[in-house]
Amino acid sequence: MIRDVCTDILLGLAVLVVLGASLGVLLMRDAYQKLHFVTPAALVAPALVALAVLVQAGLVENSGETCLALVVMVIAGPFLSHATMRAIRVRGQGDWRPPQKERKP
Amino acid sequence: MVLGVLGFTAAAIAMLICTIPAGIVIARGDLGSAVVGYEFITSVMVMVLALLAQAFQRSSLFELPVLLAMLMFGGGLVFVRAMERWL
Repeated sequence: MIRDVCTDILLGLAVLVVLGASLGVLLMRDAYQKLHFVTPAALVAPALVALAVLVQAGLVENSGETCLALVVMVIAGPFLSHATMRAIRVRGQGDWRPPQKERKP
Repeated sequence: MVLGVLGFTAAAIAMLICTIPAGIVIARGDLGSAVVGYEFITSVMVMVLALLAQAFQRSSLFELPVLLAMLMFGGGLVFVRAMERWL
Protein backbone atom coordinates (compact mmCIF):
# COMPACT_ATOMS: atom_id res chain seq x y z
CA MET A 1 0.00 0.00 0.00
CA ILE A 2 2.74 2.45 1.00
CA ARG A 3 4.70 1.31 -2.03
CA ASP A 4 1.75 2.15 -4.29
CA VAL A 5 1.35 5.58 -2.71
CA CYS A 6 5.05 6.38 -3.15
CA THR A 7 4.92 5.17 -6.75
CA ASP A 8 1.89 7.32 -7.51
CA ILE A 9 3.51 10.38 -5.94
CA LEU A 10 6.66 9.89 -8.02
CA LEU A 11 4.64 9.35 -11.19
CA GLY A 12 2.53 12.42 -10.45
CA LEU A 13 5.67 14.50 -10.01
CA ALA A 14 7.05 13.16 -13.29
CA VAL A 15 3.84 14.06 -15.12
CA LEU A 16 3.88 17.55 -13.58
CA VAL A 17 7.45 18.08 -14.71
CA VAL A 18 6.60 16.94 -18.25
CA LEU A 19 3.47 19.11 -18.29
CA GLY A 20 5.42 22.20 -17.23
CA ALA A 21 8.13 21.46 -19.76
CA SER A 22 5.62 21.00 -22.56
CA LEU A 23 3.98 24.33 -21.73
CA GLY A 24 7.41 25.93 -21.73
CA VAL A 25 8.21 24.45 -25.15
CA LEU A 26 4.90 25.77 -26.45
CA LEU A 27 4.97 29.26 -24.93
CA MET A 28 8.59 30.39 -25.13
CA ARG A 29 9.51 32.73 -27.95
CA ASP A 30 12.48 31.23 -29.79
CA ALA A 31 14.29 27.91 -30.04
CA TYR A 32 16.99 28.92 -27.54
CA GLN A 33 14.40 29.51 -24.85
CA LYS A 34 12.38 26.44 -25.80
CA LEU A 35 15.47 24.23 -25.54
CA HIS A 36 15.82 25.04 -21.84
CA PHE A 37 12.51 23.29 -21.21
CA VAL A 38 13.58 20.05 -22.87
CA THR A 39 16.09 19.40 -20.09
CA PRO A 40 13.54 18.77 -17.28
CA ALA A 41 11.71 16.32 -19.54
CA ALA A 42 14.96 14.62 -20.55
CA LEU A 43 16.66 14.43 -17.16
CA VAL A 44 14.38 15.07 -14.18
CA ALA A 45 11.24 13.24 -15.29
CA PRO A 46 13.11 10.06 -16.39
CA ALA A 47 14.83 9.98 -12.99
CA LEU A 48 11.42 10.15 -11.29
CA VAL A 49 10.03 7.43 -13.56
CA ALA A 50 13.04 5.19 -12.90
CA LEU A 51 12.58 5.75 -9.17
CA ALA A 52 8.89 4.87 -9.48
CA VAL A 53 9.71 1.63 -11.32
CA LEU A 54 12.38 0.86 -8.74
CA VAL A 55 9.95 1.41 -5.87
CA GLN A 56 7.22 -0.65 -7.53
CA ALA A 57 9.26 -3.56 -8.89
CA GLY A 58 12.28 -3.57 -6.58
CA LEU A 59 15.81 -4.30 -7.69
CA VAL A 60 15.07 -6.60 -10.62
CA GLU A 61 15.96 -6.82 -14.31
CA ASN A 62 13.12 -4.51 -15.35
CA SER A 63 14.15 -1.68 -13.07
CA GLY A 64 17.75 -2.21 -14.15
CA GLU A 65 16.84 -1.68 -17.79
CA THR A 66 14.85 1.42 -16.91
CA CYS A 67 17.88 2.77 -15.04
CA LEU A 68 20.02 1.95 -18.08
CA ALA A 69 17.70 4.03 -20.27
CA LEU A 70 17.93 6.81 -17.68
CA VAL A 71 21.75 6.68 -17.73
CA VAL A 72 21.78 6.87 -21.54
CA MET A 73 19.46 9.89 -21.44
CA VAL A 74 21.49 11.61 -18.72
CA ILE A 75 24.66 11.20 -20.77
CA ALA A 76 23.13 11.97 -24.16
CA GLY A 77 20.87 14.88 -23.18
CA PRO A 78 23.50 17.57 -22.58
CA PHE A 79 25.44 16.59 -25.72
CA LEU A 80 22.27 16.76 -27.80
CA SER A 81 21.22 20.09 -26.30
CA HIS A 82 24.66 21.55 -26.98
CA ALA A 83 24.68 20.26 -30.56
CA THR A 84 21.19 21.63 -31.16
CA MET A 85 22.09 25.04 -29.76
CA ARG A 86 25.23 25.13 -31.89
CA ALA A 87 23.35 24.11 -35.03
CA ILE A 88 20.69 26.77 -34.51
CA ARG A 89 23.37 29.43 -33.99
CA VAL A 90 25.37 28.34 -37.05
CA ARG A 91 22.19 28.31 -39.09
CA GLY A 92 21.24 31.80 -37.94
CA GLN A 93 24.62 33.55 -37.82
CA GLY A 94 26.89 31.48 -40.05
CA ASP A 95 29.31 30.61 -37.25
CA TRP A 96 28.96 29.49 -33.65
CA ARG A 97 31.71 31.85 -32.47
CA PRO A 98 30.92 35.49 -31.69
CA PRO A 99 31.78 38.05 -34.38
CA GLN A 100 35.44 39.19 -34.49
CA LYS A 101 34.71 42.66 -33.07
CA GLU A 102 32.92 41.19 -30.03
CA ARG A 103 35.73 38.79 -29.09
CA LYS A 104 37.84 39.61 -26.07
CA PRO A 105 41.55 40.06 -26.77
CA MET B 1 -0.86 -4.17 -7.53
CA VAL B 2 -3.79 -3.14 -9.70
CA LEU B 3 -3.52 0.41 -8.36
CA GLY B 4 0.14 0.50 -9.31
CA VAL B 5 -0.59 -0.72 -12.84
CA LEU B 6 -3.33 1.87 -13.19
CA GLY B 7 -0.94 4.58 -12.01
CA PHE B 8 1.67 3.65 -14.61
CA THR B 9 -0.93 3.51 -17.39
CA ALA B 10 -2.46 6.83 -16.35
CA ALA B 11 0.97 8.47 -16.21
CA ALA B 12 1.77 7.15 -19.70
CA ILE B 13 -1.50 8.54 -21.08
CA ALA B 14 -0.92 11.90 -19.34
CA MET B 15 2.57 12.12 -20.80
CA LEU B 16 1.24 11.30 -24.25
CA ILE B 17 -1.22 14.18 -23.89
CA CYS B 18 1.68 16.42 -22.85
CA THR B 19 3.29 15.86 -26.26
CA ILE B 20 0.47 17.75 -28.01
CA PRO B 21 1.99 21.22 -27.37
CA ALA B 22 5.31 20.03 -28.80
CA GLY B 23 3.40 18.70 -31.82
CA ILE B 24 1.91 22.13 -32.31
CA VAL B 25 5.42 23.64 -32.16
CA ILE B 26 6.63 21.12 -34.77
CA ALA B 27 3.72 21.92 -37.06
CA ARG B 28 3.76 25.70 -36.73
CA GLY B 29 7.20 26.79 -35.51
CA ASP B 30 10.40 27.50 -37.44
CA LEU B 31 12.93 24.74 -38.11
CA GLY B 32 14.95 25.28 -34.91
CA SER B 33 11.84 25.19 -32.75
CA ALA B 34 10.63 22.09 -34.60
CA VAL B 35 13.89 20.29 -33.77
CA VAL B 36 13.44 21.24 -30.12
CA GLY B 37 9.89 19.89 -30.23
CA TYR B 38 11.14 16.66 -31.79
CA GLU B 39 13.73 16.21 -29.05
CA PHE B 40 11.10 16.87 -26.40
CA ILE B 41 8.71 14.29 -27.86
CA THR B 42 11.49 11.70 -28.16
CA SER B 43 12.46 12.18 -24.51
CA VAL B 44 8.85 11.80 -23.41
CA MET B 45 8.40 8.69 -25.57
CA VAL B 46 11.29 6.97 -23.78
CA MET B 47 9.41 7.46 -20.53
CA VAL B 48 6.09 6.40 -22.04
CA LEU B 49 7.62 3.12 -23.26
CA ALA B 50 9.12 2.44 -19.82
CA LEU B 51 5.81 3.25 -18.11
CA LEU B 52 3.80 1.01 -20.44
CA ALA B 53 6.30 -1.83 -20.04
CA GLN B 54 5.93 -1.61 -16.27
CA ALA B 55 2.15 -1.30 -16.55
CA PHE B 56 1.82 -4.41 -18.72
CA GLN B 57 4.45 -6.32 -16.69
CA ARG B 58 6.28 -7.49 -19.81
CA SER B 59 10.02 -7.87 -19.38
CA SER B 60 10.69 -7.87 -23.11
CA LEU B 61 9.13 -4.42 -23.50
CA PHE B 62 11.76 -2.87 -21.23
CA GLU B 63 14.31 -3.10 -24.04
CA LEU B 64 12.39 -0.58 -26.12
CA PRO B 65 13.08 2.50 -23.94
CA VAL B 66 16.79 1.63 -23.83
CA LEU B 67 16.87 1.31 -27.62
CA LEU B 68 14.93 4.52 -28.15
CA ALA B 69 17.20 6.43 -25.75
CA MET B 70 20.24 5.31 -27.74
CA LEU B 71 18.59 6.05 -31.07
CA MET B 72 17.48 9.44 -29.76
CA PHE B 73 21.11 10.38 -29.27
CA GLY B 74 22.35 9.21 -32.67
CA GLY B 75 19.31 10.34 -34.63
CA GLY B 76 19.21 13.71 -32.92
CA LEU B 77 22.88 14.38 -33.65
CA VAL B 78 22.46 13.41 -37.31
CA PHE B 79 19.40 15.63 -37.59
CA VAL B 80 20.97 18.73 -36.02
CA ARG B 81 24.10 18.22 -38.12
CA ALA B 82 21.96 18.09 -41.26
CA MET B 83 20.09 21.18 -40.11
CA GLU B 84 23.37 23.00 -39.53
CA ARG B 85 24.77 22.20 -42.97
CA TRP B 86 22.04 21.58 -45.48
CA LEU B 87 18.52 22.41 -44.33
